[in-house]
Amino acid sequence: MLEVKDIHKSYSGNEILKGVSLKVEKGDIIVILGPSGSGKTTLLRCLNFLERAEKGSIDFDGIHTEFKSATGHQINEIRKRTGFVFQNYNLFANKTALQNVTEGLIVARKVPKKEAVDRAKQALDKVGLSDRYDYYPSQLSGGQQQRVGIARAIAVNPDVILFDEPTSALDPELVGEVLNVMKSLAEEGATMVVVTHEMGFAQDVASRVVFMDGGTIVEEGTPHEIFSRPRDPRTIQFLRRILREDYEYSI
Amino acid sequence: MRPFHPEFIFTALRQILPYLWVTIATMAGTVFFGSLAGILLARAKIRRGPVLRALSEIYIYVTRCIPSIVMLFIVYYGLPEFMLAFGIDINNFSKAFFVIVTFSILFAANMAEVFRAAYESIDPGQREAALSAGLSEWQAFYRIILPQCIVVALPNFTNALVNLMKEGSLSYTIGMLDVMGKGQLMIGINHGSYSLEVYLALSLIYWAMTLVIEHGFGTLEKHLSKGRKIVAAS
Ligand SMILES: Nc1ncnc2c1ncn2[C@@H]1O[C@H](COP(=O)(O)OP(=O)(O)OP(=O)(O)O)[C@@H](O)[C@H]1O
Ligand SMILES: [Mg+2]
Repeated sequence: MLEVKDIHKSYSGNEILKGVSLKVEKGDIIVILGPSGSGKTTLLRCLNFLERAEKGSIDFDGIHTEFKSATGHQINEIRKRTGFVFQNYNLFANKTALQNVTEGLIVARKVPKKEAVDRAKQALDKVGLSDRYDYYPSQLSGGQQQRVGIARAIAVNPDVILFDEPTSALDPELVGEVLNVMKSLAEEGATMVVVTHEMGFAQDVASRVVFMDGGTIVEEGTPHEIFSRPRDPRTIQFLRRILREDYEYSI
Repeated sequence: MRPFHPEFIFTALRQILPYLWVTIATMAGTVFFGSLAGILLARAKIRRGPVLRALSEIYIYVTRCIPSIVMLFIVYYGLPEFMLAFGIDINNFSKAFFVIVTFSILFAANMAEVFRAAYESIDPGQREAALSAGLSEWQAFYRIILPQCIVVALPNFTNALVNLMKEGSLSYTIGMLDVMGKGQLMIGINHGSYSLEVYLALSLIYWAMTLVIEHGFGTLEKHLSKGRKIVAAS
């Protein structure tokens, strides 16, 4: 359904993505792991054209184009069919929770207001915010803000939702509420690409785990393959470090 | 020296007030053209084009160093010469024209800084979120970014407006007949005898205008700032 091939992206001569290819089928939950600076965020941003990759192609449900030569129309089409959940929420500060969700429906997709409000309410109910429709982001906790962010992404019925470390800006006690929402989305069959450091989520929910390092995909496989029998030394080292941290956290 | 005649303050007010609209109209013209130019300058500074940015920075730097009264005379004497070089005679243009040009040039530089600071205070992540949601660049700007910019810019804008009002009083030096000009005229007619009363009357007018401006924009800010965290007064 979504396939990208050979993405290259540099910042001022510094190559950050060195030929990344990724294939996402409907219903896949792909978790991307990797050390800081390995290019995970950059990859997601390229998929959504928030950064323009210099090389590579994207095939998205009938839209096929080189990143370099994608037209404004194609970009907008791809964006409309994807949801993006940001690390630091990026909610519209001048809009209520409900308006944050309806904005993309009414303005970008020309959904009639009444229908948009209904759909937005459904989305907010789904993330457990039925009592916070009219709150502004500044009146919500981090976890609630991120759930609004998720509601905003799912309300448009996207073909795929991209998550960039959705819980890493949250206080530890709020991480669970957001992960639970993501789990239930996964159970409903949503297609998701998730960058995260939450190993528990990767193990339980992922259909495929991708390990990135230094701008390339080093290894990918089922959670079982990656966590129990990692092959690449870089994966092994990364997991050892992360899992030990997790362990230290829990004591 | 004559004794102080407080009742003459009212006489002065009655005679000066009819010229209030000139002051307000030139201010409005200045705010309009100055803000427009300020937006363009701010845009040039924010966008990455190095040439435009340098030009905009030079403009802002140079105009900020020139006192209003100097700028006023440069425009008043210089602009007609300059236009004449293109075969356009503006010597008979109204004084208000030169006043608006002068203060627009200065106001634009102030506004450029106010707008740029306001724009940069908004987390660019919101723009990206809007684009991701399928909004166009323009929709993201005017629906999400601009409303927040306006709230941030309002206090500085209000300050700039009050300053403009005060500096604008210098317009009488090229013979413009606004409230200040009329006041000067009255003093001249009375051979300077009612100076204090006239200046007190002018103070009252400027004071009232400031009050209206600050109250008006304060209310507007309160009205527009929904969703913004109330930051404890520092
Ligand atoms: N706008 C930018 N300009 C220059 N360099 C950038 C920019 N954005 C990212 N980089 C660089 O690209 C590299 C990869 O960044 P990226 O944010 O994709 O990493 P990441 O894998 O998401 O890391 P983290 O786990 O810390 O979020 C980093 O070295 C970063 O410094
Ligand atoms: Mg990142």
